[in-house]
Amino acid sequence: MNKLFWKKSGIFQRAEFLSPKDMLQRAAAISGLFLLVHLAGFREFTGILNGTIGSLALGWNLSAFLAVIYILLYLAFVILVPVLILAAVILAIWRRRVRKVEIARVTTNGKP
Amino acid sequence: MKARMKRILAGLAALTVAALIWLPCLHFVFTRPVSQFRQEQGLSPKARQLAARHLQLWTEPALRETELNKMRISNAEWDFMGRSYLVWSLANMALRDPASKPLYLRTMDQIIDETLRLEKQEGMYFFLMPYAKDGSYVMQPPHSLFLDGEIALMLASRRVVDEKPEYKPLLTERVNAIVARFQKNPRMLLESYPDECWMFDHCVALDAIKTADYLDGTDHSELIRDWIAMAKQKLVDPKSGLLISSFTTHGAPLAGPEGSSIWMVAHSLQLLDEDFARDQYQRARKELGAVTLGFGYAHEWPESWKGEANIDSGPIIPVFDISAGSSGMAFIGASSFGDDKFLTSLAATLDFAGFPSRTGGRLKYCASNQVGDAALLYATALGPLWQKVRAGAR
Repeated sequence: MNKLFWKKSGIFQRAEFLSPKDMLQRAAAISGLFLLVHLAGFREFTGILNGTIGSLALGWNLSAFLAVIYILLYLAFVILVPVLILAAVILAIWRRRVRKVEIARVTTNGKP
Repeated sequence: MKARMKRILAGLAALTVAALIWLPCLHFVFTRPVSQFRQEQGLSPKARQLAARHLQLWTEPALRETELNKMRISNAEWDFMGRSYLVWSLANMALRDPASKPLYLRTMDQIIDETLRLEKQEGMYFFLMPYAKDGSYVMQPPHSLFLDGEIALMLASRRVVDEKPEYKPLLTERVNAIVARFQKNPRMLLESYPDECWMFDHCVALDAIKTADYLDGTDHSELIRDWIAMAKQKLVDPKSGLLISSFTTHGAPLAGPEGSSIWMVAHSLQLLDEDFARDQYQRARKELGAVTLGFGYAHEWPESWKGEANIDSGPIIPVFDISAGSSGMAFIGASSFGDDKFLTSLAATLDFAGFPSRTGGRLKYCASNQVGDAALLYATALGPLWQKVRAGAR
């Protein structure tokens, strides 16, 4: 039942590259990944930005690695995700408008 | 193929338009009224939250040990400066919020006593970077003005809030020793490290001397006046007009003007020479402060000076030349001189890129550390202590 719902909704179906759906899928994927690392507590390691070790137990290298992952996903979440969502909306509106113009042209041309 | 190309181009155009809309708006998500960070009277919400986290560190020894050890791996100075900034913050907070004074005084005493114990037990090198042992101090016996000045100002700040007779001889002894060394050296330049003197440390030490004058009725105004006249003449970078950060005992520059130092120096000078302090802040704001898309930050060096990232500047973020150390200290400068516009934009950057973490009314910035957060706390609370000392009669 559940499987059928997801299949029908087409959320996880690969969309055309740079289509509104593609952009929303990418935004959702970034948000999901960011949520994951945020809940896993990677934020604590960002002290590396001022030269402080994130965790004495994990050491410099691993702390720095986790910090970089968190920072990149955070930046993607606050900068890229809103841009992707906005772009998807802009593109959807533009496509609808183009479609309307085309329909109007066809209707006008089809008139006797 | 043509349709696919058209779709991709349309997608890229939409992304460009979206970025042009979003990027200039991003700062609105993080910008808060300046009163959230600093208030003329009382304590701002941020001050309370940051203080709650610091007070927790001083009531939970295990947590404190972890935090301090994390900093000591990089720089033992940070452990010491975190204590100083916290004591100075609590002194200002006690003057702003008399109801919490007993708690703040208790914590200040705890920090001061533990710091003095460690200094006595482990020696002055405990709070210095390892290279302090690499050379020998020009002036013997060795003393670090970094430690003496900050400890003196801790003791003095505590006594301004409420007299503690046990601290009076400790402050007098430390101030007399600093003054004696100033008088012994005709150039009036004292070392923090072997043949390495810091502007920051001189200004803090002079603040401590001035505060001791206020407390105990002594008068070192001539010494302070002479020192500032000497600094204006010999320790100013001719291109930017900013005070240089470090120099030898002969006054030869070691480092040029630096953001990690000058913002605090300008604040310290407020107690000693208000006009010179404002001049230094305005120059620093012009040469080092920057705001891009609503986010404020600071460079470590003016354009006319080339320097390399070091432990004080922190990592330098390329393209924008953002220094974590200078940007953090810029809060103190902006707060001291009532530069609310710059302070608001700095606070927006802090909430954007400082990775705040709030639990149970306590706030810390994950991208910072204990000393960084203590300096931020100081920026939220500074003012009343200087006002009281400047006003004169106790």
